Amino acid sequence: MNIMHYLADLLVRSLFKADPATWPYTWIAYAVVIGVGALLAFAFVAIFAGPVTWIERRIAGRIQSRIGPNRNGPQGCLQWLADGIKCWLKEDLVPATADKPLYLAAPYLVFTGMFGAFVVLPFGAHVIAADLNVGLLYILAVTSLVVVGLLMAGWGSNSKWALFGGVRSAAQLVSYEVPSAFSLMAVVLMAGTLSTQGIVGAQGGWPWQWFVFRNPFLFAAFIMYFISAIAEGNRTPFDLPEAESEIIAGYNIEYSGMRFLFFLFAEWANMWIMAAVATLAFLGGWQIPGISPERIAEAKGWTFVGWQALSFAIFVFKGTCLVFTIIQIRWTLPRLRVDQLMITCWKYLVPLSMGSATGVLLLMALVREGGIVDWVMRGAMLLVGLLVAGAYIRKVRATFMADRDNYKKMEGRDLWYPPYRLP
Amino acid sequence: MVPTVPPAVSPHRRPPRGTVRAYFRNIRLALSTAFDGMSVTMSYMFRRPLTIQYPDKIDKPVQEMLPESYRGVLEVDMDRCTVCLQCQKICPLGCINIESCKNPETGNREVTKFDIDIGLCMYCGLCAETCNFDALDHTREFEATVTTPDQMILHFVEKPREVTKLKAAEMPVRKHKGSILQKMIPAFGRRHPQEVWTPTAYAAAPVPALKAPTATPKPAAPVASAAPSAADSPTPEQAP
Amino acid sequence: MNGSIVQVVLFYLLAALALTGACLVAFSRSIVHSAFALLGTFVGVAGLYALLAADLVAIVQVMVYVGGVLILILFAVMLTARVDEGKESNPTVGKIPGLLAMLAMAGLLVVTAVKAFGPRTVISEANPPSTVSPIGNLLLSKYVLPFEAISVLLLAVLLGAVTIASGRMRKGAGGKQEGEAPR
Repeated sequence: MNIMHYLADLLVRSLFKADPATWPYTWIAYAVVIGVGALLAFAFVAIFAGPVTWIERRIAGRIQSRIGPNRNGPQGCLQWLADGIKCWLKEDLVPATADKPLYLAAPYLVFTGMFGAFVVLPFGAHVIAADLNVGLLYILAVTSLVVVGLLMAGWGSNSKWALFGGVRSAAQLVSYEVPSAFSLMAVVLMAGTLSTQGIVGAQGGWPWQWFVFRNPFLFAAFIMYFISAIAEGNRTPFDLPEAESEIIAGYNIEYSGMRFLFFLFAEWANMWIMAAVATLAFLGGWQIPGISPERIAEAKGWTFVGWQALSFAIFVFKGTCLVFTIIQIRWTLPRLRVDQLMITCWKYLVPLSMGSATGVLLLMALVREGGIVDWVMRGAMLLVGLLVAGAYIRKVRATFMADRDNYKKMEGRDLWYPPYRLP
Repeated sequence: MVPTVPPAVSPHRRPPRGTVRAYFRNIRLALSTAFDGMSVTMSYMFRRPLTIQYPDKIDKPVQEMLPESYRGVLEVDMDRCTVCLQCQKICPLGCINIESCKNPETGNREVTKFDIDIGLCMYCGLCAETCNFDALDHTREFEATVTTPDQMILHFVEKPREVTKLKAAEMPVRKHKGSILQKMIPAFGRRHPQEVWTPTAYAAAPVPALKAPTATPKPAAPVASAAPSAADSPTPEQAP
Repeated sequence: MNGSIVQVVLFYLLAALALTGACLVAFSRSIVHSAFALLGTFVGVAGLYALLAADLVAIVQVMVYVGGVLILILFAVMLTARVDEGKESNPTVGKIPGLLAMLAMAGLLVVTAVKAFGPRTVISEANPPSTVSPIGNLLLSKYVLPFEAISVLLLAVLLGAVTIASGRMRKGAGGKQEGEAPR
């Protein structure tokens, strides 16, 4: 059942006392519900993309022993609003030598490409705008609109830096689409469907039911998807299109005001999209541990709403964790060179992701799902995941302890300052 | 993700031996170095930030956190000044302006003017080094904001006063550095550490009439926020 | 579901988008504008596919044509020298052969349209079945030979491109080294 259909039918039944199947104006109700849904999705993008800029700046501050913006509003939480209003009030400049129609149209194209992907993201058990049969392919397809938009911005600005940025970005996106598509293909093969809800449904709530921990090839595919998603989103260490040391800001250098904001908006929205796709494809999506999707569908009244809210919260939580990782990677790794970028893609990620897809096929043919080998493999992969997490925590602790005594000696204060204590 | 750059291999040459090993070594290195880097940055999430949130949210005034040798705004203790003019001579910018004359009644030397233009001063410290009596020195005050340009000239002598004839060892102890300045400019006054700086609070602070020398024995500059002790009271009255 | 009016309106909108794009491609002075106008055509055609409930074809249209072909064309156009001068990069040549080709194409289309004219099938289902798995099954069973032949062809094209490019690269690298100023 699609929540859109359900709501539209409900609207027709309750408001007009008509049978939605025969009433001639049902399509108006559908159009209204779809419009409202689009507005809600837009609101989610805005509400996510805005504060996450502030959160990233706070995290970046802590990583660099700073504090970050904490003046506008309590702990600076209104900083994004101030930035947005500032951009809104600025003059929308068009360079005199710019190719005007292309220059003006580019931000909207970029934004459309990003925003279009939100249609098929399953936020919860039934919270999805449209569960397309070709969901994952659709995401890959609409994001290719972004490439055209970036090229358009680069060309239309009539500036060499913008053109460099646009061409770099296009080359990067086209290249990294290959490994990301191959990594997602491994998942599609396992799930046997392209629909996003179908892929989530093929997994379960518990970690050993997630696709990451199914077998080693999917584990590798997850890492490779994550890397190529970061590259597709033009995030560090793959942010060559906006390398400020060489080409100042890349494709958006000539833009100002609202149009500039659209580019930034698309960038932050894209961060959420890649985290959400990784979540739904590899980390079990919105699945609630111990509750089967059938039980959610059968629930009535407030229980139904409760399950929906819980699944929404789980999905957003997993996505936010990945977003945090993406932010942390940005403030950890240095930027790659152009040749290194292409080597990483074509020499490493493409063959390895092809290999992982083939490996998944091989395991699907050889290992019976639910058999003893399958369970041993899942257990082993879960163990590997836990070991990696444990090693990570140990390493973090060791790095911290290495500096703790010296800090105490020099400053006379304890180095410990937990992240939840906001200075 | 590839930390080591493979050497540029021309396309028509045979790949060097060990390429396969280098390939997998690169993958291993990429993952392990990224892992190491991530753990270092993660550990910083639990460390105390170095930022000092000037001017509020600090344990003690920033002036006290600065090192003793900090070269802030200049200050003269007129009780120790012998008007030797060494500082005026050595100042490369000529920002110190001292005038003195002989009082015809008492026959004593009197200093009538000791001005320092802090808008001109470049904080080189030459004057403080030449001063033999520890009268002229840099303080740790740095918030030298004033509302009009003429307030940038600090007048350390409000009305003519007799120059001390004491030897260096007999002179009164040097007043606490900064205590004289704090009475001259409200912005120099030590705020309470927890006091939050707001533009309105600053605007409400009275602007001192620094220039006009008045007939009153005390300087007209009102004390903004600091509470000076009685021992620090400036310009002891010279009985004619 | 009584959505035929919506479908008709959508059809004309999408057709207008595709045709506008095509006209811009043909009549634009700047070849870069022509290349960008292709986007409208591709997206409009994809929309028409989606209207015909051919979801996979629509998505593949966007992916292959917008994400691949258009980008390649744009790269090629942007790498062209003196691309801003319409007379150099976008000249009108061969008016009479062009007219003949246009007439032949129009005749072909008219014949097809007349042949296809008949009782129209309106897709009335709200949720038409997915075309993904039938297409996949057909590709790997009935049409497996053409499918594989196409992939072999693509491989040959790739190898050819690599051969040509590597020959150029060798030459280019040599020339660069010779032309490099001594440090």
